[in-house]
Amino acid sequence: MRLRTSPAKLLVLVALCLVVLVELRTALAFVGVSLSIGATVAVGVAAIAALLLWAVRPAGSGE
Amino acid sequence: MPNGATFADAYPTQARHIRAAFWASFLSLGVGAFFGLIQALHRTDILRVIESQTYYTVLTAHGVFLVISFTIFFLVGVFQWAVTDSLERPPVDMRFTWGWYGLMSLGASLTAFAILAGFTDSIDVRANVLFTFYAPLQAHPLFYVGLVVFVVGTWLAGADWFRSWLAWKGDNPGERIPLPTFMVLTTMIMWYISSIGVAVAILAFILPWSLELTGSLNPTLTRTLFWYFGHPVVYFWLLPAYLLWYILLPKLAGGRLFSDPLARVVFILFVLLSTPVGIHHQYLDPGISEGFKFIAMTNTMFLLLPSLLTAFTIIASMEHGARQRGGEGYFNWLTALPWRDPAFTGMALAGMVFAFGGFTGIVNAGMNINYLVHNTLWVPGHIHTQVGTAAALTFMAGAYWLVPQLTGNRLVGRGLALVQVVLWFVGIVFMTNSMYRGGLVGIPRRTAEPQYEGFEYEVAAGSVGELNAQLAIGGTILFVSAMLFLALMVLTAFNGGTEPIDDGSIPPALSGPEDSPAVLDNLKLWVAIAAVLVVIAYSFPLASIVSRGGLFGPDIGPIPVAIDAASTVARTALEAVSAVVR
Amino acid sequence: MSNVARQEDPASVERIEHDEFDPVGTLALIAFYFAVLVLLWLFTYFVEFLGNVPTPVVVA
Repeated sequence: MRLRTSPAKLLVLVALCLVVLVELRTALAFVGVSLSIGATVAVGVAAIAALLLWAVRPAGSGE
Repeated sequence: MPNGATFADAYPTQARHIRAAFWASFLSLGVGAFFGLIQALHRTDILRVIESQTYYTVLTAHGVFLVISFTIFFLVGVFQWAVTDSLERPPVDMRFTWGWYGLMSLGASLTAFAILAGFTDSIDVRANVLFTFYAPLQAHPLFYVGLVVFVVGTWLAGADWFRSWLAWKGDNPGERIPLPTFMVLTTMIMWYISSIGVAVAILAFILPWSLELTGSLNPTLTRTLFWYFGHPVVYFWLLPAYLLWYILLPKLAGGRLFSDPLARVVFILFVLLSTPVGIHHQYLDPGISEGFKFIAMTNTMFLLLPSLLTAFTIIASMEHGARQRGGEGYFNWLTALPWRDPAFTGMALAGMVFAFGGFTGIVNAGMNINYLVHNTLWVPGHIHTQVGTAAALTFMAGAYWLVPQLTGNRLVGRGLALVQVVLWFVGIVFMTNSMYRGGLVGIPRRTAEPQYEGFEYEVAAGSVGELNAQLAIGGTILFVSAMLFLALMVLTAFNGGTEPIDDGSIPPALSGPEDSPAVLDNLKLWVAIAAVLVVIAYSFPLASIVSRGGLFGPDIGPIPVAIDAASTVARTALEAVSAVVR
Repeated sequence: MSNVARQEDPASVERIEHDEFDPVGTLALIAFYFAVLVLLWLFTYFVEFLGNVPTPVVVA
């Protein structure tokens, strides 16, 4: 399977996703949007799944 | 050093010495991380394997093992490597070098014994005074004696490096000090200036008092002397990380250091500014007037300058590496960096956490906002992003490059090492985010059971339960990451018959020392200016504290921290505090 | 730099000297960082001042 990026970069990107997720929940709460734990986890799973899908989709097919 | 040879080939004896320092450091990391896990689970009431009284023994051990033993043993190893490698000569007398290592080990062992004995009643020794050992909390004298012996060991280490430099200077008259050695010498100057404070606090006041030679002391005075040392000590943890960022990170990124002169300026600024700021840890202390606190705050804001300079220089050096590797665009060059190298990725992530954690330091440093977060869980959040990541993660990442150079063995589990540094990054974000948010709503630090009857914290998003879960998950991830690191280090040490994949060479800076004014290397001048600044910042506050409370204080008796009668202790403490305030 | 060093990563493709190096990426990243710092300051201002009601005046 050919990745669009290296496994190392993917790992770092997933970690950054988790960070944004944790911090975003706090930031959103201050503008009146409160996400429940379930919703936060769902957004996180969706975001990481999207990232992984993008990575494994064969390079060139969507460009 | 001959091209292609590892440090272990070129300097086998010195490599053995540095390895010994690293093992002492890693042992402390293992023990300290274990206590951290116990705390994370205990204070969140998820798993309480110890009595809540014992929490303070655990907390003391966590602090002392990690921020004194783990960090300082590691940094003396890094400094020894930096001096030997950049001066291209071994220490003048290796027996002296082993001597200071022996003193440091002896001191660390005595202090460790005094703390760990607190877990058993069969030995009448205790030191549950936390890493700040504020009087009138009183530890067994062994605790203080151990600290003194340890610090004297570091002083002799500094003397050893100065001696190496003087010998080198004799052979190379008129040459600029090589940058790594310059960093080590300036850091040690800062350490000498600042550790005088804690030495006076212990030798003149706390140790005689714990030996019952003197009946009393002035807690405001010993606290002030502690923080005179207590803020520069954070730079003692941080500057070795800076050294690795300036010296190693550009090379790992595939480039060269952007500017040698800027690096020198940064280290001199730390010599000048890191000591006359300690009172910013005491904004809430009675007995020090607001004016002195304001001066400390102003100095602290100046201290942001060298860190912002560092952000520029380090990022520019990484960008240079990325461009040499074919990186393009305003942000796309980031993808050209060697993210699969755990040493690089660990340091880059540590730098990122440091940049944002630094902001929480600005909050701490501002007098009015400090009142909001003082003594709350916010403060451990800050220290875990700074020493717990900027320093600790950089050290671990640095070890992935250094330990192969020091053993001549190839790093075992490069992929796992990458997972380890990323795990640390994720764990620290989870844990400190929870700590910051908890601190903002007033959850206290240094408390075994921060839950109260009939009172609810008003958490801005989520609930205290969620914050606790997040803290415990973060703490557990950090523990797993630390254990993974130690396992990889042990395996690498036994990975004989292999070679490191990297040679030990460090490329020269883009803008070298020839571009920097020679006055930067005039160490005597900087020592003199630093001393004047210290006198200006501290003479009046100290005089005022002594004239109010006396050198030996308004009759403050000890509170030996044996907590079988917690209520008595609390009452005595209250009386003592009210006596000081009056 | 030795090639042994980079056998697993793509080696440097070119050599860039001091005068050819224009760190625009650094400028971009630092500008981004400062923007985030400004937002954090606003956030702190909110927490410290706007998020709290005025201190109650207690007349003894």
